[in-house]
Amino acid sequence: MNNLQGKRILVTGASSGIGRAVAQQAASYGASLILLGRNKERLKATYDSLQGSGHEFYTIDITDYTRVDEIIRSSVATFGFIDGFVHSAGIEKTIPFNASTPNLFKEVFEVNVFAGFEIARLLSKKNIVNPSGASHVFISSVSAVSGEPGKIIYCSSKSALTTGIKALALELAIKKIRCNCVLPGCVDTDMVKKLFASIPIEAKQSIINKHPLGIGQPEDVAFLVCFLISDKAKWITGSEYIIDGGYSS
Amino acid sequence: MKKNEFVSQLSEFCEFENENFTLETLFKSINGYDSLAVMSIIAFVDENFKMSLTASQLNKITDFNSLVELIGKDKFEDE
Ligand SMILES: NC(=O)c1ccc[n+]([C@@H]2O[C@H](COP(=O)([O-])OP(=O)(O)OC[C@H]3O[C@@H](n4cnc5c(N)ncnc54)[C@H](OP(=O)(O)O)[C@@H]3O)[C@@H](O)[C@H]2O)c1
Repeated sequence: MNNLQGKRILVTGASSGIGRAVAQQAASYGASLILLGRNKERLKATYDSLQGSGHEFYTIDITDYTRVDEIIRSSVATFGFIDGFVHSAGIEKTIPFNASTPNLFKEVFEVNVFAGFEIARLLSKKNIVNPSGASHVFISSVSAVSGEPGKIIYCSSKSALTTGIKALALELAIKKIRCNCVLPGCVDTDMVKKLFASIPIEAKQSIINKHPLGIGQPEDVAFLVCFLISDKAKWITGSEYIIDGGYSS
Repeated sequence: MKKNEFVSQLSEFCEFENENFTLETLFKSINGYDSLAVMSIIAFVDENFKMSLTASQLNKITDFNSLVELIGKDKFEDE
């Protein structure tokens, strides 16, 4: 079991899918959560489902960095230092290369990459992060290391995240902040439901067929994330963990 | 956008080879109409009409006219 007793973890994308499952599992292991997401109803549903106490939720677009900073500061003032960060917020676009304009790259990179690094920066400051150490986990994707047609923007955003954390891990080691990436294959969430609706049936079947153990569940990924947040992973940093039911094998 | 402009702009965007398409041209008869073309149509409609079509909706279209109907005739200017 992953023991997260007493840890304060901020989770982006907590209103849905993998972020929600991470929040629920982390709470069941004793953590208290700061949940961020845009959809109030779904975010509140995550909040209401959490075991334990000391949780907070904020309906916010995570690219509003001024507001994110205010939330972090006031949360630390009230509840104490941050011990972990999980960046699960993300957007996926299936766009053929001939339509992949810089504006679309910016839109996806803003959430998947820039917001992840900016929130990590805000959380890693003195007086915010626990001086005894912390763990940042970024939900990347197996798309960081393998392509699919129509995925130039998404794949490159996840690659940027996956490689970026390696540099981050080196810089933050002095503060005992560990940084790792988790690279899931196809997981049964709203994102995948939307993706499957937007691609031809053959493309959907071909993605499913490439997962020898089938499509994953959000809890499968959450377990690995909770391990990486926990002190049991104290010697792990700068690494990427593929969890994909055999997709990339 | 007028309907005939829609036909030519979409065909150019999808890089369909022949350029003399009409509203009655069947997608299946077009050389180069494949799964990437379907993604391109979704992207084109999203960009120009702010509308997210699904692949199963596109499965049902036959010619350009049926795509116009799916998007909504009211979204097009009179010829
Ligand atoms: N599902 C998969 O197969 C899969 C595979 C590999 C990697 N991933 C990655 O896993 C992560 C979670 O995906 P998921 O499958 O759980 O997707 P999801 O169910 O669509 O959830 C995405 C989450 O991101 C949040 N979000 C997006 N843009 C935001 C913004 N600007 N501000 C605040 N929140 C924002 C959404 O919040 P609201 O809905 O409240 O706006 C939602 O909570 C993503 O980074 C995704 O790329 C997923």
